Amino acid sequence: MPDESILSDEFIRELINVGEVDILVGVPTHNDARTVGQVVQGVRAGLLKYFPRARSVIINADGGSRDGTRDLVCAASINDTVGSNLPALRTLHSISTQYEGPPASGTALHTILAAADLLQAKACAVISPESTSLEPEWVERLLRPVIREGVDLVLPVYRRHKFDGMLIRNLVYPVTRAVYGCTVQEPYPSDYAFSSNLGSNFLNQDLWTQEQGRHGTELWLTLAAIIGRYRIYQSFLGTRGRLESPPSDLVKAMRETAGLLFCSMDCYPAAWKDLREPLPAPCGGCQPAVSLEPMRVNRKRLHQMFTFGISQLEPVFSSILSTPTHEELKRLATLPENEFELPEPLWARTVYEFAAAYHRAVIGRDHVVQALVPLFRGRALTFLTENREAKESEIESNIDKVCQAFEAEKPYLLQVWDGGK
Amino acid sequence: MPVQQDALWYKDAVIYQVHVRSFLDSSGDGNGDFRGLAQKLDYLQDLGINTLWLMPFFPSPLRDDGYDISDYRTVNPLYGTLDDFKNFLEVAHKRGIRVIIEMVLNHTSDQHPWFQESRSSRSNPRRDWYVWSDTDTKYKGTRIIFLDTELSNWAWDPVSKQYYWHRFFSHQPDLNWDNPAVREEMWDVMRFWLDMGVDAFRLDAVPYLVEREGTNCENLPETHGVIKDLRTRLDREYPGRMLLAEANQWPSDLRAYFSTGDEFHMAFHFPLMPRMFMGVKLEDRKPITEILKQTPEIPESCQWCLFLRNHDELTLEMVTDLERDYMYDEYAKEKAMRLNLGIRRRLAPLLDNDRRRIELMNGMLMSMPGTPIVYYGDEIGMGDNINLGDRNGVRTPMQWDGGWNGGFSTADPETLYSPLMLNPVYGFQAVNVQSQKRFDHSLLAWMKRLIKIRKSTAVFGRGSIQFLYPANHRVLAYVRKLGNETILVVNNLSSSAQAVELDLKPYKGNILVEMFGRNVFPRIGDLPYLLTMGQYQFYWFKIRRV
Amino acid sequence: MWSNFVGEMTRAADEILKGFARFLPRILEMLVIVLVGWVIAILLRAIARSILKIARFDKLSEHTGATQLLRGAALPSLTELTSRFVFWIAWLGFILLGISVLGVAGFDEHVATFIEFLPRLVVSLFILFFGLLAASFFSRAVLLGAVNANLSSPRIISWAVRTMIILFVVSMAFEELSISSRTVVVAFGMTFGALMFGLALAFGLGGKDLARRYLEKRFGSEPAEEQHDHEDELSPL
Repeated sequence: MPDESILSDEFIRELINVGEVDILVGVPTHNDARTVGQVVQGVRAGLLKYFPRARSVIINADGGSRDGTRDLVCAASINDTVGSNLPALRTLHSISTQYEGPPASGTALHTILAAADLLQAKACAVISPESTSLEPEWVERLLRPVIREGVDLVLPVYRRHKFDGMLIRNLVYPVTRAVYGCTVQEPYPSDYAFSSNLGSNFLNQDLWTQEQGRHGTELWLTLAAIIGRYRIYQSFLGTRGRLESPPSDLVKAMRETAGLLFCSMDCYPAAWKDLREPLPAPCGGCQPAVSLEPMRVNRKRLHQMFTFGISQLEPVFSSILSTPTHEELKRLATLPENEFELPEPLWARTVYEFAAAYHRAVIGRDHVVQALVPLFRGRALTFLTENREAKESEIESNIDKVCQAFEAEKPYLLQVWDGGK
Repeated sequence: MPVQQDALWYKDAVIYQVHVRSFLDSSGDGNGDFRGLAQKLDYLQDLGINTLWLMPFFPSPLRDDGYDISDYRTVNPLYGTLDDFKNFLEVAHKRGIRVIIEMVLNHTSDQHPWFQESRSSRSNPRRDWYVWSDTDTKYKGTRIIFLDTELSNWAWDPVSKQYYWHRFFSHQPDLNWDNPAVREEMWDVMRFWLDMGVDAFRLDAVPYLVEREGTNCENLPETHGVIKDLRTRLDREYPGRMLLAEANQWPSDLRAYFSTGDEFHMAFHFPLMPRMFMGVKLEDRKPITEILKQTPEIPESCQWCLFLRNHDELTLEMVTDLERDYMYDEYAKEKAMRLNLGIRRRLAPLLDNDRRRIELMNGMLMSMPGTPIVYYGDEIGMGDNINLGDRNGVRTPMQWDGGWNGGFSTADPETLYSPLMLNPVYGFQAVNVQSQKRFDHSLLAWMKRLIKIRKSTAVFGRGSIQFLYPANHRVLAYVRKLGNETILVVNNLSSSAQAVELDLKPYKGNILVEMFGRNVFPRIGDLPYLLTMGQYQFYWFKIRRV
Repeated sequence: MWSNFVGEMTRAADEILKGFARFLPRILEMLVIVLVGWVIAILLRAIARSILKIARFDKLSEHTGATQLLRGAALPSLTELTSRFVFWIAWLGFILLGISVLGVAGFDEHVATFIEFLPRLVVSLFILFFGLLAASFFSRAVLLGAVNANLSSPRIISWAVRTMIILFVVSMAFEELSISSRTVVVAFGMTFGALMFGLALAFGLGGKDLARRYLEKRFGSEPAEEQHDHEDELSPL
């Protein structure tokens, strides 16, 4: 039974008016007035074009916007009095609710899942309010596999800048692939779709009062789908627009990615320790997904923060890392920037040792995750250097190399997991 | 109870559409006739209807179910004599039932003596009574109505070696309304029937009366000129009689046929009907409210005619491609059910014989602004036979009882004008008047009650309509008002129970009295009025101040 | 005279024997109490050991740095030490109880004082233990936060935090034990005050730019120029 107490009375009243639906599209927002109008219009166009007969609803879970975000979403409704010029067979409700607590994507997703459960939605999609490059086809590509082919989770594949999402490319993706045996390029998606089956199951998990129920929940959903051996599919959507001022809180990002990964490995060891068949995640319409525009990057700062971290966090690292790994990292910290390289195997072993330290709680677990941040900067610097002049295919191949390194070091993970050296 | 004199009687009418051939055969020749129809006037009076619309009963080769007329001034011998008709008319009037007959102005049968003369030679006096041309290229751009059978609006006459114009079947040549003689003759025909006592004419295919090059040959000003002229004559010589337009057009185009109250008294609201079916299938009131919002205001003396089904296919001409595809997929899964951009099925089979949906649709029919028409047999839930050609599947014999030929005729079943329905669901042994008369909960009994309640107030026929737009889109709610009387109608279009909150603040302090059971519902207060409704349920409430 | 002497000796011996005979049951009682107490103390030690093992006390104490200290001094683990402490406290209690049975004058008062002192000792040990835990945790948190924010001298800041917390905890422990509590509290107050004053001066003079930027970012209506945080356009996710 879903926790209806997270839904306000007013919102439940609106859900009653919506009734049972076939498709629910969730849009989590917080002060996104700049972009959400365009996104929601795109979603609406997609629903009208590709699912004109389906009973659909757009649900906005908002974290307390003060810039009119919610009104912009509600303006996408089509009913007797609004939107009659559109070729719409049916009423389309576009409703909004403000969830309790501070803005958090996990809380928004929780709200969306609860609403989907109440409305018995057969297929759900979640669209980021910042997906300004969204086209109506995105809606079709995300939802069609769920509706027509019985897929449980559809993850996006974007055409992204080669240096975008380095944490995903250098840590989340390789770990997911190597440890869980599932190759998904965007395991921490912002636009995705899932079946009612997966949605209900996820809603009933006991995570909503914990940190993974507030931040990084999308990644947790992907991991839950992989661990539960659900049917996963990847859909190529198109270019992912870059934000004007992308978030740079790497500690927060690390918590939401590495922290969650380590937590899931700790909670579900059987899912990755036991030998299992790799879980297929076929990709529909996939094309070369890397763009090469020039981008401003401060390499010097990355190098400086890596060396600084190595030197200042020595007592912390000595609790976490094995001596050889620690020594090697200390040696790298002495190299000048132009000679610096944090190779993939070392990076893989480092991450795995961190995972093991997290599992054994050698220090506070959040501290383990924070301590990884300066080391990641070193890895990011290496990636930037390696791929500075690289073409699309080279970058894809370099990312693949990282994954292969993680796969090769998996026996080492098994070895150090419970305290072996 | 004799017919009451009231200039606006058609606003209070509940019309029953019937083909005399399909109703009751008194002579045993396999065809229904006027004597049989007269015998069943008791049944119709008991049902509660007060107006009969008869489909064409004129002499005809019957290649278009009587709409191809070969003699306008008598009755097809299959159905009896002119005296039989007069007798029937008299009995109907005595029972307070008015009679509307067809008047096909646009075309005749090619067997009509007029056409026979016209085609005989190019110099024949009646040559000009029809539309002839040396080529088939005139009036290009005019749509073909019977798409499934006709490839052109022109047909070659091998006799006079010219093309003649026909908007319908090729055996139905169009009359030339530019010829004054045609107008006078047709008015004379109308007078013939008016003098006999007929109360109204349904003028078939009126948009197509006049053709002009460079137009779509529909709804032309000249056509309206013809109608105005006929109406003027009617009002002058036969006040209180009525003209009903059959014009399958968008509401905005239909509006012109009311003009300022000097053309038709009534017109069928074609675009509403498929949208009612769509609304129930989609479980969404949007198609219905949208078309009614687009429906223009009409003069006070005029009235829309509403219907669910009739003798033709359920037309999908006045919907978008998206809507048409949806209707085909949902209501005509088999290709054989589709004809001429429409669906040739009866009401009950269209609604999967779901009693609740049938009631809901009839409830909406009887409560929306307009005069309702019940197609014969739909009051007992008759089925259809799509294996019969053209639209004959919805014109099978009326089912009176479970006996010989369903009580329709004493003739041998093989000689009937049409086979009876035989399957276990819709066959005459399962669905018939006699068995339904035995039970209070039958569809027939329910229809009687519905019609009685409809007639108990003038609001439904003459009142205004104001839509409420509750947030629950599955509920269609509106308020009908006339003078001091106000009725709230709430329809649940959904197959599941629904809760709906209605904004009834303007009626605060009033109580609701449900009209079927006459039970009182709570008083309207400040808060939205909450109603919970079962699947496909509807309410009619009188809003009363105590 | 000899017979008097023998008679006196006999009487004295008799008195001693009588006295001893009067005292012997008490000694036996005491021995029984001590023996029973020993058994109970062993049981309590075993129970304490089990509870601490289940609560993963050693793991917890690793964070305080205590485990490393003990290992360095070749001492047994904290669980073992604590269990042994429980044993000795329990047995000591029974020994004292046994001695009180002997009826030694004035001894009861000391026993009562000791028993009164015991709970305060336990509480102060708790305070010390969890205080060390907190000191370790917060100092590490500050260290990580400072490193990731690229602040200068993170170790000094971390050390300062740890020291402050330890001082605070120690003074609380002493206060709990009522050992020079007033002196300790005053000393702590002076040290803490001086430290805060110094930090205020340092931050006020040296960190005013940082403070300004922080305040603008947190409470300003327009985003402040985030220079060194956004010197590149990288988005990690």
